Amino acid sequence: MEHTFDIVIVGAGGGGLFAALEAIRTDPKVSVAVVSKVYPTRSHTSAAQGGVNAALGNKDRDDTVELHVFDTVKGSDYLADQDAVAYLCSQAPQVVRELENLGAPFSRFPDGSIAQRPFGGTVKDRCCYCADKTGHTILHTLFEQCLRRGVKFFNEYFLLSLEHDGGECQGIIAMNMRTGAIETFSAQIVILATGGHAKMYWNRSSNAAGNTGDGQAAALRAGISLKDMEFIQFHPTGLRKSGLLVTEGARGEGGYLLNRHGERFMARYAPQKMELGPRDVVARSMETEIIKGNGFDSDAGSYIELDLRHLGAEAIKKKLPQIRELSMHFEGIDPIEEPIPVRPTAHYSMGGIDTTMAKTAVRGIYAIGECACVSVHGANRLGGNSLLDILVFGKRAGQEAACEAPQRKALGITPAAVRRAADEIRSYASHERYERYGIIREELGRTMGDNVGIYRTGERLRQGVDAIRQLRRRFRHIRLYDTGTVYNTNLIQILELKNMLDLALCVAVTALERQESRGSHYREDFPLRDDAIWHKHSLCTMGEDGDIQLGNRAITMGMYPLEARSY
Amino acid sequence: MERREVSFRIQRYNPQVDQTPFYDNFKIAVEKGITILRVLNHIKEQLEPRLTFRAFCQAGICGSCAVRVNGISKLACTTQVWDELTGGGDDPILIEPLSNLPVIRDLLVDIDPVIEKLRQNQGWVVPSIPEEKMGFKEHAVSDDEFEVINAATDCILCGSCYSECSMMGVNPRYISPPVLLKTFRMNNDTRDTDGDERLRRVTADHGLWDCTHCYRCVEHCTKNIPIMDGIHRLREEAFERGMTGSEGARHAQAFFDDTRNTGRLREVTLPLRTKGVTGSFGMLPLALKMALKGRTPPLFVHRIAGIERIREIYRKLEK
Repeated sequence: MEHTFDIVIVGAGGGGLFAALEAIRTDPKVSVAVVSKVYPTRSHTSAAQGGVNAALGNKDRDDTVELHVFDTVKGSDYLADQDAVAYLCSQAPQVVRELENLGAPFSRFPDGSIAQRPFGGTVKDRCCYCADKTGHTILHTLFEQCLRRGVKFFNEYFLLSLEHDGGECQGIIAMNMRTGAIETFSAQIVILATGGHAKMYWNRSSNAAGNTGDGQAAALRAGISLKDMEFIQFHPTGLRKSGLLVTEGARGEGGYLLNRHGERFMARYAPQKMELGPRDVVARSMETEIIKGNGFDSDAGSYIELDLRHLGAEAIKKKLPQIRELSMHFEGIDPIEEPIPVRPTAHYSMGGIDTTMAKTAVRGIYAIGECACVSVHGANRLGGNSLLDILVFGKRAGQEAACEAPQRKALGITPAAVRRAADEIRSYASHERYERYGIIREELGRTMGDNVGIYRTGERLRQGVDAIRQLRRRFRHIRLYDTGTVYNTNLIQILELKNMLDLALCVAVTALERQESRGSHYREDFPLRDDAIWHKHSLCTMGEDGDIQLGNRAITMGMYPLEARSY
Repeated sequence: MERREVSFRIQRYNPQVDQTPFYDNFKIAVEKGITILRVLNHIKEQLEPRLTFRAFCQAGICGSCAVRVNGISKLACTTQVWDELTGGGDDPILIEPLSNLPVIRDLLVDIDPVIEKLRQNQGWVVPSIPEEKMGFKEHAVSDDEFEVINAATDCILCGSCYSECSMMGVNPRYISPPVLLKTFRMNNDTRDTDGDERLRRVTADHGLWDCTHCYRCVEHCTKNIPIMDGIHRLREEAFERGMTGSEGARHAQAFFDDTRNTGRLREVTLPLRTKGVTGSFGMLPLALKMALKGRTPPLFVHRIAGIERIREIYRKLEK
């Protein structure tokens, strides 16, 4: 089937939905389609718990956009582009108010204004929230408003390829998962909003099963570069057994991190901010405690305790109800009675598709949110800035797309491209293939965790790169066992694994290349930040042979010069 | 770690191959603490790659993985195998797709009907602030005002209540609990301006008044939302807004009046008061059948002894 739209948005999380909404609000005459591999309300935006940062000044009256910019730049370990950060933070109050105006529920202060809580790595309390379900309520609000505006949804379509003619966007090819049919979406503008790729760490990740970087991988294969891929954020507080997330809001509300001696050990690592240091610092401190033998031992590995008991039953029930539920479901403990067992878990990909204010190097192809790298998060993202990122750049992409689409011609998608996509899918079912999906995916997760984790060395990274190359070779023999066309999840798993393998290679290769420690990227063999050589973005492109080629780009500085980073 | 062999009996159906659904059995060793979703993932990866189901966040917030476990709709990702063991642990655990929605394949159902009903019933806020003025000013909303809708905004549209609803089974056109909950959430949002229209839509046929108060939606809500409270509130709101013309509203009014007047329901005239004269013609065959079986309700209703106390309750409530 062939579809034609002015704007096609791939991904229906908060970023994709806001882009769709904004495009229609900007110009009701443009035709917009949202193509998503899951129903919109399933998107991973729903899992964002803690909140969204905006210098509204409802709590700290003296908070300003400049302070928000400073916190973000410092949090990024000075790798973020400061013009982009300035835009992000200056738009924050407006997008949060707009969302509120559109019906998003927020927790409130007694005066009726949006409540704000402290969050990691910030000098002011500016994280706006709705209990611990902020992402969920934002996602549902945007979905409701898209229904209201009659946005056209193509749910449960899997992105197969991104098409352009070398300089201009043509559209996408996707598979209708319900029928197995390959369908083309011809469009002047494609906005990629496919979310992150931290699921490559598999069960050492807080991410949804589908956070496999489909848009990033499609862009990479279409010759678009990826930026800063070595930077993967480990969230300090994943549940011990499952890696599921316990929001930073739990520490924002006053939770303690304790080692097995009952010590609030963060006093030794970030004496001022304590538990509310930035995520890279807190995660590394926890990992150090565990390595030094100060963690608690269990069958499911060593862990640290997150103690909320002193907050009291009422505060826990009111402000952290979901955390309590998760702890009970997945660890069998009630945080009102017992501390929560936690350990760092792969959580967020700062790197992604190289964009300048939402636009890629190919005219008409945009990327926003976690799949993109503007870069506003640099080497470490602050909690509460990811929801902000999708809102600000989702909105901007929608506006720009609506203005740009009518000025450009629809180029259409070539039959050769469609044949290539179909041939690839057919090839997986060949009986000469023998590798199993589960085994390769398991080994990928293990090698990422062991060799490309929180603490990195040249030797381990080299092992990681070799292992991933080996897995990519084995992938060529992967066997599709389900040959049906109706909702073939076996095929989807294989396509997702291919994406993760390509992106994992980018992460490992760039991590090996960067011989310094900055933000989430910590090299034991190069423990210091080295601004003279490494104060720059890394770039990856895919060569004809499928291997990764490296490049780099200067960082845009602004108000805040390089400084040592301590908390 | 406690560990045991557990049998799982899973409903399968691939429309390209199977005439009708059938069941597959899998016996696997399971540790205590394992969820139904982990079992499904294990079966798919190790035993049967064709097994088809949805799962995404694995943390109980995305709503993808609702299935029926031993007959009850639940999220696979938050349901412990140990909690589902019956017959001393020897009976197989039955896993089936949600009810009341078309099955696409195996455990995977089509949830488009739910989304379509949300769309038809305008499950969104129509803001009081005009487009061009958005983003400049927050509404002031008190914590108490937010608390009214707080629980309702927990809904993850997993479809469990849709599957469990006893009305959905007999009338697929019924509006359904999640849509009524969404209506309640919107109509009680102080920032919304479209309550009248929304309520007009949900009080139409197959709507608000068709709920039978069976409370199955509340009992099986995966997020413990008091859905029925929302439905009751909407019915009150229908009267407050003067939307008393529908059969459902007239039926409720008749109960209200009879109880105040005599303390007893006057069943004989109930069809007339609910459906009107012409509408009641259709009830005649039923009335004849009831008469033949000696089930005719009494023609005259006597006031109960404690009627004054009931009227006192009414007076207090009306205050």
